[in-house]
Amino acid sequence: MEPYAGIMLQDVYAWVRRHPRAADGLLAALLLAGSAGQLRISPPSAALAATAVSALIAATVVVRRRDPVAAFAVAALLAAAQLVFGLQPADGDPPVRALGPTIADAAIVVLLYTLAAYRPRRVSLAGLAVCLLGAAVAVARWAPVHAAHSGGLLLVAGAGLGATILTAWVLGDSMAYRRAYYTGLEDRLAVAERTRELQERRARAVDESAARLRRIERDLHDGAQVRLAALAMTLGEIKENLEVAGDDRTLALAGAAHQNAKDTLAELRDLARGIHPPVLDRGLGPALVILASTSGIPARLTDSVTERPSPAIEAMAYFCAAELLANAAKHSGASRVTIGVCDQGAGLVMSVTDDGDGGARLVPGGGLGGLLERVQTVDGRLGLDSPPGGPTVVTVELPRHA
Amino acid sequence: MSTAGAALRVVIAEDAAIMRDGLTQTLTRRGLDVVSAVADAEALREAVEKHRPDVAIVDVRMPPTHTDEGLRAARAIHEQWPEVGVLVFSQYIETQAAAELFARAPGGVGYLLKDRVADVSEFIDAITRVAQGGTVLDPEVVRQLLSAGRRGDTLAALTPREREVLSLIAQGRSNAAIAGTLFISPKVVEKHVASIFDKLGLPPSDTDNRRVIAAIRYLES
Repeated sequence: MEPYAGIMLQDVYAWVRRHPRAADGLLAALLLAGSAGQLRISPPSAALAATAVSALIAATVVVRRRDPVAAFAVAALLAAAQLVFGLQPADGDPPVRALGPTIADAAIVVLLYTLAAYRPRRVSLAGLAVCLLGAAVAVARWAPVHAAHSGGLLLVAGAGLGATILTAWVLGDSMAYRRAYYTGLEDRLAVAERTRELQERRARAVDESAARLRRIERDLHDGAQVRLAALAMTLGEIKENLEVAGDDRTLALAGAAHQNAKDTLAELRDLARGIHPPVLDRGLGPALVILASTSGIPARLTDSVTERPSPAIEAMAYFCAAELLANAAKHSGASRVTIGVCDQGAGLVMSVTDDGDGGARLVPGGGLGGLLERVQTVDGRLGLDSPPGGPTVVTVELPRHA
Repeated sequence: MSTAGAALRVVIAEDAAIMRDGLTQTLTRRGLDVVSAVADAEALREAVEKHRPDVAIVDVRMPPTHTDEGLRAARAIHEQWPEVGVLVFSQYIETQAAAELFARAPGGVGYLLKDRVADVSEFIDAITRVAQGGTVLDPEVVRQLLSAGRRGDTLAALTPREREVLSLIAQGRSNAAIAGTLFISPKVVEKHVASIFDKLGLPPSDTDNRRVIAAIRYLES
């Protein structure tokens, strides 16, 4: 296949991108080489000095990326010296030969581009002004030398110089713009990546915490609760034995200990159930059935969820329902409540409706506010519609997985 | 079922060793004959098949899933050996599970909170009632049902006092016990009970059986 010129150009660009320092070195060498003809002057000392000046100007290209402003400043100062001393001075003094302008001065255009591409616009605009001023001065100082030429040619030279300078600035500036755009894209990509990572971590944390709560409940059930029940049983037996034969004081002590053990058992049970209702292990549906059957006000449940959510989500939905039922019973004056759970896209939606007085509000730190915060930890949503006079509808939307 | 005088023969299924052993010792000291104490539902079935006890005391949560193995085992025992009483005990009360248990096996069944072992005499009383084909329902179930405010139409016709009496019937209490609890005379209790049976449309037949049916209506309402 014929090598396509565009592809070859791309290869060149790629090489330049990979070896920026070498590319700049090459450019500087080319600039100096281009000046070779203009540097063949006598005496040799002047040629040497002129070569040194041109080399210095060309060298600024090599360091342009490291410090664009300093590189530009050095090149501009040298070029200004050339303008002032190297061209035919206005007062008729002979020009300093070592400071004659050379092709290497084209470096300034490259440096202006660099300035526009890598530095804030106000800096590059100052550079642009310096360059345009320099060009104008150059053309003006040239004019007497080339008096033979028509003014039109000078105008063309000036316009060409100005256009080149402007083009370099525009190219650099658009380069800066594009780079900012790509950087923005990359930033957004990085943010998206980070967000995804955080979501995964959060899901793991939510799942782990739900699993840990379940484990704690099970440990309580298999450990402390059983031991305490066995202890209470022994105390009960001691108490009953003392009732048959024993002194009243010991009986009273045993009775108090027995009662304490039973009360603690009841408290521990409530605590464990608050940590993780064991019925949740059988699924959200069965858990809600039991919740509805023990509700303070008559509750009806419709459950059409087809795919079980993760345990953490089931627990969250359950605790929301429990809180909402308790709220309805406590505050709404409702005579009945309806709980509905169904699939919704990649998640589920649960609505709790009561026929109470309405006027419920979402206040930070309040019961509903707490639910909202809880639901938001998994990007769920909570909606409240509670006009004065009711009915109150609370809608909880949850993903199927954290 | 047990005959009067002979020691009740009991099988215990409880996965926590400390509770299993404690229960075995306590019941033994109280004159019950613990013929087997096992740790899971499979072993329970084997023990019941082998010993045909008067009562099986069954923990709801047992290996392997620790959810409702005990309930399922209780139902299976009732289907296979209806003469064996089953007393299910659980760390938590689930009215739904209780209602199901009672609907399938109206006699020789009990459902108690695990805490009840603390009152040894009452617990043994409950075991005895279940062994004799009676029903025992944890007061906590009744409390939850009462607070649930989910009375259906079935019970709408009952007066508050009659509901109170019915809730005690559902707990397996005798008329005398109900009279003592409500501070009313046994005669008044009998009047309430007759009125409840009447309103629930239960024909006059075996009183105990009607009590059980009334209790089930109550649970299912």
